[in-house]
Amino acid sequence: MQHEIKKITRIVDEMLTMFMMTGTHEMDVRIQKEQDKTSIYFTQYGSTFDDDYIEQLENNLNIQRQCEVEGYYWQLTGENDMDEQLFLVGAMIDQVIIEKEEGKLSIELVRFNP
Amino acid sequence: MQLYQIQEKELHKEQKLLILLMFPISFMIFGIGISVYQADFNTLAKGVVDIIVSPTILLTDFLAIGGIGAAFVNAAVIGFFNLYLLAYYKLRINGLLIAAFMTVIGFAFFGKNLFNVIPIYLGGYMYTKYQRIAFKDSILVIMFATALAPIISEISFGDILPTYIALPFGIIVGIFIGFIIVPLSTQMLKFHDGFNLYNIGFASGILGTVLTSIFRSFKIEIEPVSIIYKNNSWLIVGLLIFLFCYLMIIGLYVNRHVFKHFTEVFKYKGRLVTDFTHLVGYGITFFNMGIMGLLCIIYVIMVKGVINGPVMAGIFTVVGFSAFGKHLKNCFPIVLGVFITSLVLGYDLSSTGMIISLLFSTTLAPIAGSYGIGIGIVAGMMHLMLVTNVGVIHGGINLYNNGFAGGIVAGFIIPIVDAFKRE
Repeated sequence: MQHEIKKITRIVDEMLTMFMMTGTHEMDVRIQKEQDKTSIYFTQYGSTFDDDYIEQLENNLNIQRQCEVEGYYWQLTGENDMDEQLFLVGAMIDQVIIEKEEGKLSIELVRFNP
Repeated sequence: MQLYQIQEKELHKEQKLLILLMFPISFMIFGIGISVYQADFNTLAKGVVDIIVSPTILLTDFLAIGGIGAAFVNAAVIGFFNLYLLAYYKLRINGLLIAAFMTVIGFAFFGKNLFNVIPIYLGGYMYTKYQRIAFKDSILVIMFATALAPIISEISFGDILPTYIALPFGIIVGIFIGFIIVPLSTQMLKFHDGFNLYNIGFASGILGTVLTSIFRSFKIEIEPVSIIYKNNSWLIVGLLIFLFCYLMIIGLYVNRHVFKHFTEVFKYKGRLVTDFTHLVGYGITFFNMGIMGLLCIIYVIMVKGVINGPVMAGIFTVVGFSAFGKHLKNCFPIVLGVFITSLVLGYDLSSTGMIISLLFSTTLAPIAGSYGIGIGIVAGMMHLMLVTNVGVIHGGINLYNNGFAGGIVAGFIIPIVDAFKRE
């Protein structure tokens, strides 16, 4: 797949934009590249996201990988600060795991190599 | 971030394909039925051949070239071909795919036929082999990219080259277009930042301008034409009303609360990528498509226009993109801007050119959705002024001329509006 590195950085960009737009003050990002996949970990401290919002977040990200959407529109990811493109992020990843405990929200996005 | 809690019947992939299959089946029955009624199969066969060997440059209405029956049979064949590809490659039937399918069958009434679309698919297939990616990942771009199909017909049948070289050269140019359109269209998104729904129209406009300029440098002139069907057929109007009511009934069947929850769709701005099938479900999406189709027909009848090939292309494109970003709330300001400008400039509202400009102007719906009614109206006004002037640049070889104009308008307006926006 072309532009693999750029796609990963744009996923990070889009997620960071979403976090910053929703009032995040402190967070970590960790990227782990492996032979067959890339995992991106986001940790938000002092999370104020309620259960409904987290459910919406999961619904938006937890769609099937849609390579045809990714192939055409991936360059729009992380481009705009007016509204989020989480659907695009969802179309570019294979798995999402979201956990919240005691004000710490953890999101793991997994993208298998094509 | 908004998400409607979707409560609707689960539709399998096959069922979604069957819903779309209704369109080419209806077209085929209608096209053959008209010919049976007229008791003239020779005219149907000749009409199909006439459509295939016509140069198809903007505006070439297949209803005028081959007759009603042949135009509908051509649209049906294009529809079956594309649905076969979607089924073969097991693509997920999402909003983008519905938009692509509807756009392609709409333009099969003015510009696209099996002869001039296949080389573009072939070029796209070769590109994916070259890049070692799956064809199904690029098939949607290729479907939209058939916007440049007229150049293949123009070269092959437009008497601009000797016959022995025209046909192979036309096919080679088509393959070349298919080969380069995927990276080109992706790159063009950045110009308008997703605020022009017909992005391929913009990419095709750029590519068409380059190709036309090359031809003109070699003293080969490509000029737009105007071959338009001028009589309203109430049978066609009836068929379209039937199909759009069918979509609404399907929407109601899938989501029985569709009347109550229909306005959920208005919450979305419509900027690329806004897939209503994911956001509000298939029920509301199909219902929205049907409503938008009926509104288009009502508008055309109100201004005493003719529902011919180009107008059907406009209507089906609006209907298709009503699964992928368009709804009444974000389309209305744009349309109002076009309407006001046409009155001020004294354009004939009932003319086919004016009607399709208005219908296709909804490519800018995300601007109204994101920046409000005022900016939406301004965008509509600018769109009309540009679309009436940019066709000459590419000589009419880009069927999505409004997508080209829309891209320029969006790329021009968005940075200016953003610059004056207060944090």
